[in-house]
Amino acid sequence: MSNNNNHHKKDSHHQHHILTNAMAFKVWGALIGLTFITVAVAQIDLGALNFAVAMLVASIKATLVCMFFMGLKYDHKENTVIFTTSIIFLSIFMILTFGDLITRGDVYVKDGKIIPESFTAGTVVKSKFTKPWISTPELIAHGKEQFQNQCVVCHGAEGKGNGAASAGLNPKPRNFTAAEGWKNGRRPSQIFYTLSNGLGGMPSFASAPSDDRWGLVHYVRSLGPHENEKDTPADFKKIGIDPDKADGGGGGEKVIPVDFAIDQMIADPAGAAKPVKPTKGKK
Amino acid sequence: MSTSQGVVTSAERHHAHHFESGLAEFEACKQGMWIFLVTEVLFFSGMFLLYAILRVFYPSMMHDAHHLLNWKMGALNTVILICSSLTMALAVSAAQRGEKDKIVRYIWLTFLFSCGFLVVKFFEYSHKIHEGILPGALWHYEELKAAKAPLFFSVYFVMTGIHGLHVIIGMAVMLWLIKRAKRNEFGPEYFTPVEMTGLYWHFVDLVWIYLFPLLYLVS
Repeated sequence: MSNNNNHHKKDSHHQHHILTNAMAFKVWGALIGLTFITVAVAQIDLGALNFAVAMLVASIKATLVCMFFMGLKYDHKENTVIFTTSIIFLSIFMILTFGDLITRGDVYVKDGKIIPESFTAGTVVKSKFTKPWISTPELIAHGKEQFQNQCVVCHGAEGKGNGAASAGLNPKPRNFTAAEGWKNGRRPSQIFYTLSNGLGGMPSFASAPSDDRWGLVHYVRSLGPHENEKDTPADFKKIGIDPDKADGGGGGEKVIPVDFAIDQMIADPAGAAKPVKPTKGKK
Repeated sequence: MSTSQGVVTSAERHHAHHFESGLAEFEACKQGMWIFLVTEVLFFSGMFLLYAILRVFYPSMMHDAHHLLNWKMGALNTVILICSSLTMALAVSAAQRGEKDKIVRYIWLTFLFSCGFLVVKFFEYSHKIHEGILPGALWHYEELKAAKAPLFFSVYFVMTGIHGLHVIIGMAVMLWLIKRAKRNEFGPEYFTPVEMTGLYWHFVDLVWIYLFPLLYLVS
């Protein structure tokens, strides 16, 4: 028994991998170097790439720590499997949530009837623009703001269809700077139609306020050689606009922003279930 | 030659009877530790998800709000934690070689780095509390008008706070390790507590490796 015990002790002694101090310092040096790279890259504006680079560098650092400091490189494979599985599940958790968030057309609640009396008049957003199908610098500026919040993920900061999420999309998101490839056409009303109804991988943004949609139309058109593409009466008819009336003949629309709806829900959980219920855009 | 107070040195230690060998006991402990770290991933994942949702909902707010954090402090703490991971790894190696004095010295160094981390964090927190850069309704910082900015700081304080709590727990465990190492309890035959604390400590470093770019360097 004693012999047997000694045998095991000797055995165990030989099976533990001891990280050499030299190796530990090398890993430390790499981690410090990568921290400097993270900070340096953050000073350069690479658009959506900044985030990707920062996460890539962090993951390289994490891998180094796991492999050497935590010894997975020298360990049984089970421990690597156990830990990486949790990271894979975490990625699924993130990807599904992100996928939901960035493909929601219905980030705005639109339907006058489901807004209860308790909502004051001030919460209803009315159009700020007259004849918003005619481009103005204000509309373009408004559209640019919307674009940067909602569209750059796929269409890219310059509207070239090369946003961070475009890598996984086929067909690729529209390149707004090019004249070719516009399936629904590139007149204002045609782009408005695409925004409202969606097209292929592009979700419908029908539930966004029409001001936002018209702003986007004019911003997107300002990115490329589209100024000679003019609307015809038939185009206006297709989207239900009477171009002679300031509000297009629709009498405005009642919309509340989703974060306002969430605030209402926090303030009044019982009463908010109804107004927050999202409505799918008209398809 | 059992020492006083029932202390068992590394060489004398015998594994629990239900394990075939000391090695089997060690490996089982380590696997248990990895499974614990998986639950830690689960614990932090909800917070990372909240961060992700806010970033999708309010990208410009997240950008404006993060400028209120001092990235130099964040970078300094990143370097401090990486150094503490190094000294922790050196402590484990020293335990495996049975170099008692070095175990104690490296764990003390790790402890000092952790103190440094908390000192930097203290300055960051006290500055924010002083300026009113606080979560939710506690917010009273006038200079940033970005709506929802207090949400960023809810995430910031919860994530760094829970991470900081991990640091403090790690430090308490280190003091316990130092006490045991001084009694010669660790050596080539038995260093399980040192190894497990190492795994925990490196995990705390891992979380910070992601927190730093996500909170301090929002592009």
